[in-house]
Amino acid sequence: MQTSNALDPQSPLARAIYDLGIVSGVVFALIFVIVTGAIIYAIFRFRARAGEPDPKQIAGNRKVEIAWTIIPFMIVIFLLAMTLGAMNRADPPPAPSPDLVVTGHQFWWQVDYPGSGAITANEIHIPTGKPLSVRLESKDVLHEFWVPKLTRKMTNVPGQSNHIWIQADKPGTYIGQCSEFCGAQHAWMRILVVADEPSKFEEWQRAQLRPGQAATSDTTAKGLALFQTSTCINCHAIRGVAGADLRVAPDLTHVGSRRQLGAGILENTPANMRLWLKSPQHIKPGALMPDFNLTDEQLNQLSEYLSTLQ
Amino acid sequence: MNGTTTIAEFREAVLDPAKRAHYRLAWLSTVDHKRIAVLYMLTALFFFIVGGIEALFMRLQLAVPNNHFLQPDTFNQLFTMHGTTMIFLVVMPVVFGLANYVLPLQIGARDMAFPRLNAFGFWCVPLGGLLLHFSVLAGGAPAVGWFSYAPLSETPYSSSPGVDYWAVALFVLGIGSISFAINTIATVISLRGPGMTMRRLPLFTWINFVNAFIIIFALPVLNANLAMILIDRQLQGHFFLPIGGGSPVLWQHIFWAFGHPEVYIMALPAFAIVSEIIPVFSRKPIFGYEFVAASSVAIAVLSLGVWGHHMFTVGMGRPLDVFFAISSMLIAIPTGVKVLNWTATMLGGRIRFQVPMLFCIAFLIQFLVAGLTGVSHASVALDWQTKNSYFLVAHFHFVAVGAIVFAVIGGLHYWFPKMSGRMMSESLGKWTFWLMVIGFNMTFVIQHFLGLLGMPRRVYTYPDLPNWGWMNMLSTSGVFFMSAAALILVWNLASSFFRGKVAGDNPWDAWTLEWATTSPPPHENFIALPPIRSRRPLWDQANPDRPDPIVGENSAAITLPDHNKVGILTFILSEAGFFGALILAYLYFYARPQAGPGPKELDVPRTLVFSVCLFASSFTFWRSELALTKQRRGSMLGWLALTILLGGIFLAGQGTEYWKLFQTGVDLSTNMFSTTFFTLTGFHGLHVLLGLIALLIFLWAAWEGDFASGRGSAFKAAGYYWHFVDVVWVFVLLTVYILPFIR
Repeated sequence: MQTSNALDPQSPLARAIYDLGIVSGVVFALIFVIVTGAIIYAIFRFRARAGEPDPKQIAGNRKVEIAWTIIPFMIVIFLLAMTLGAMNRADPPPAPSPDLVVTGHQFWWQVDYPGSGAITANEIHIPTGKPLSVRLESKDVLHEFWVPKLTRKMTNVPGQSNHIWIQADKPGTYIGQCSEFCGAQHAWMRILVVADEPSKFEEWQRAQLRPGQAATSDTTAKGLALFQTSTCINCHAIRGVAGADLRVAPDLTHVGSRRQLGAGILENTPANMRLWLKSPQHIKPGALMPDFNLTDEQLNQLSEYLSTLQ
Repeated sequence: MNGTTTIAEFREAVLDPAKRAHYRLAWLSTVDHKRIAVLYMLTALFFFIVGGIEALFMRLQLAVPNNHFLQPDTFNQLFTMHGTTMIFLVVMPVVFGLANYVLPLQIGARDMAFPRLNAFGFWCVPLGGLLLHFSVLAGGAPAVGWFSYAPLSETPYSSSPGVDYWAVALFVLGIGSISFAINTIATVISLRGPGMTMRRLPLFTWINFVNAFIIIFALPVLNANLAMILIDRQLQGHFFLPIGGGSPVLWQHIFWAFGHPEVYIMALPAFAIVSEIIPVFSRKPIFGYEFVAASSVAIAVLSLGVWGHHMFTVGMGRPLDVFFAISSMLIAIPTGVKVLNWTATMLGGRIRFQVPMLFCIAFLIQFLVAGLTGVSHASVALDWQTKNSYFLVAHFHFVAVGAIVFAVIGGLHYWFPKMSGRMMSESLGKWTFWLMVIGFNMTFVIQHFLGLLGMPRRVYTYPDLPNWGWMNMLSTSGVFFMSAAALILVWNLASSFFRGKVAGDNPWDAWTLEWATTSPPPHENFIALPPIRSRRPLWDQANPDRPDPIVGENSAAITLPDHNKVGILTFILSEAGFFGALILAYLYFYARPQAGPGPKELDVPRTLVFSVCLFASSFTFWRSELALTKQRRGSMLGWLALTILLGGIFLAGQGTEYWKLFQTGVDLSTNMFSTTFFTLTGFHGLHVLLGLIALLIFLWAAWEGDFASGRGSAFKAAGYYWHFVDVVWVFVLLTVYILPFIR
């Protein structure tokens, strides 16, 4: 089952935080039980009964006060030491050059692999068992990269590069999400991290570097023409298509091979692609892609072209 | 009143205390602290219902996954308005209201130090509320969250005027809060009754007094931030826009430098209430008075240095992360000391489980949870997972509702008899209590787990991930219990006001001075005060055989400082915070390399000459003051006129500087230097201008014959302000004009 459960860490980075959470949780639970126990004891033991005079007027005890100032202080020192250790394990200093650059946009993620030159969106593929250095950027407002099972969260700040490490022990799909409010469609700025065995990852990366190739048919040819002649090309890039090199919006070179559309709002099926193209503003109100009022025929052509673009 | 009232009759009706009491405008024109307090609380109650309905709509939208009940933009407006409303229009007004009512009574004062300022502070609340909500008619409410993070809150990303209304509203509310804090400090310092030394202050008063200082330091910082975002939005400044060289992270620093103290501004009054109720209903004095009082001071001081724990994910760097982790964890210690003292007060008592006490017990346990989950946000690594998730939403609602709202409702049940003369219904109160406890915990306990399962805050909907559906449904269900509790509370307040059992002076057998007068108290509060020798004067009165030990010396005549002086010095303190934020913002950008005009454009020698005029005006004012005390009217008028002239020359000098810059094409929007330069010097100039207007009024009044007696504490107060404006200029001069030479 794909989840974003922070209590099920799947990397040494996330586990460092999880372990700290367990230790802290035990400390918190002990404090809670002791103090609540004292309150409940007072409630039952010292309930006023009719006709009783006021009790002995005790106004404090200096020794007790000093004790319960010092004990929390020691607990704090302990938690602080644990925290510093976890910080170092969950967030080591960055590598000289990043393996991945993740750029936040309203309301989607651009993912660059500087080593190979691969570019994708909203779906991050990583090899298992290897920590990857990730640089976080933003093109507009604040966003926040959060994949709870794999690593800490970190804000994408425009004009400032931030850094995290990411790693997955086992192959699988891990869910994440923008966690800093970034505007109308903050809710649908989701992330998929797909971890594969290194060989399979290399295969994926090689495929990503190839120009986009759709199924060859009359319909898809018309779809491509439509892509080029209408405004799609002003924002979206498709490697191998002349003039389609602007990346204001997600790169569509291999859009057909992705699992989701609209940063997580729809499963990527041909029917959903058609639905999305028909009215993105109906599916994801406030997204920056406008409605284009395409005819049914145009919708068929364009959605078939994009759905088969591998 | 009929329609033929003459002005003379009107004046008579307003001025004659007997008629005035019945006059229908009396509630609107009142300067009585008790009536203002009630107005504060009624306003808060109104907005509590508004903010509650907003929350209800949000929870309905979130009840099931992939819901389409609300549009995303509507949802985003709702949570922005909910947060802003609950903080600035509900919690702050209601705790100010309670303090406004109870604090002067507890110290045996007739009213607050500045009754008109008190009314002004209150009226800022409805005005601010109106401005905030007017945005709905002017193109939509703000949809950027209550902390309005830049650059989302900047014009390119939020072009409708919602954010502008939000900023102006908060500015107005901030001024109201500051004036309340000034009043509180002046009242406690200058208006204490005979025998009421600082060491004998009831804890409610003591903690609210400490709280006023946090307000004085924190709210002006917010106002500086609001001024900057308005300058960005209205005058094309660049403070927080990366495109023009600005910094979104600076917004966060300044916002949380206000925002975290703000949490304590709301929480300390809750501590104050609980510190009053738990002893009375346990029939014992508070355990460790000195420790509860001192821990409040410790919290206040520490609260000013913990803001960075809101920013552990923005990339401040390891050293700052660690610094703020330490300071934030330290604040857990005085807070823990308080919880233990409240618990120890109950131990060995004879606890009466009446409604106020029930709310305080729930407060204790829920606040304990809030404090413990709070430590997990101070622990940087844990915060890296829990921040901005529903875990955080749960944490701060445990503070805001589980602790603060519970304490406030307990406080309302406790002091309602004093305010109305009637008891609230105990059985309805218990219904409110149990529905609140069940509803609150149902809604918010589960949210901790939702957060750990990866649900971020501020999403209008969410995918159907494992367990998310039922958890959200459970959370939403709790809201109905809380709504029922709120309705019963309102009904209880209304019905008890008319039909409640008559309370008498001291229905709870409490020990502080507010219970030594009638319920409700007369206009000037007390006929006579009981002797005050300890912290519990009414205990001493009721138990002559075993009175409390006398606290401190019993000196008969303590001279309390003049309230005008205390007031103006407090005001200056708040202004220092405002300018401090502006100067820091200037330095923040000065330290960064930037293209375009810089300090080299400025004419330093000319400015030095004009600065000398300003500094000289402090000297001339001092001479004028001297002449006043010696009752030499002509000399006083002359020196004062000279002061005004010198101030005017300084302003003219600043005008020349601006004009020269405009001539060379430099204005506020040119670059980061020009934005910070015009903002800093502009606000200083504005303060000089306001000072000049005040001095002109004094000149006119003195000309007309005021101050003939040689006394004039208001005149001296104006002097403090004028000197302060000069001192600020020293700092501005050093920062803007001199610093580039030192480099």
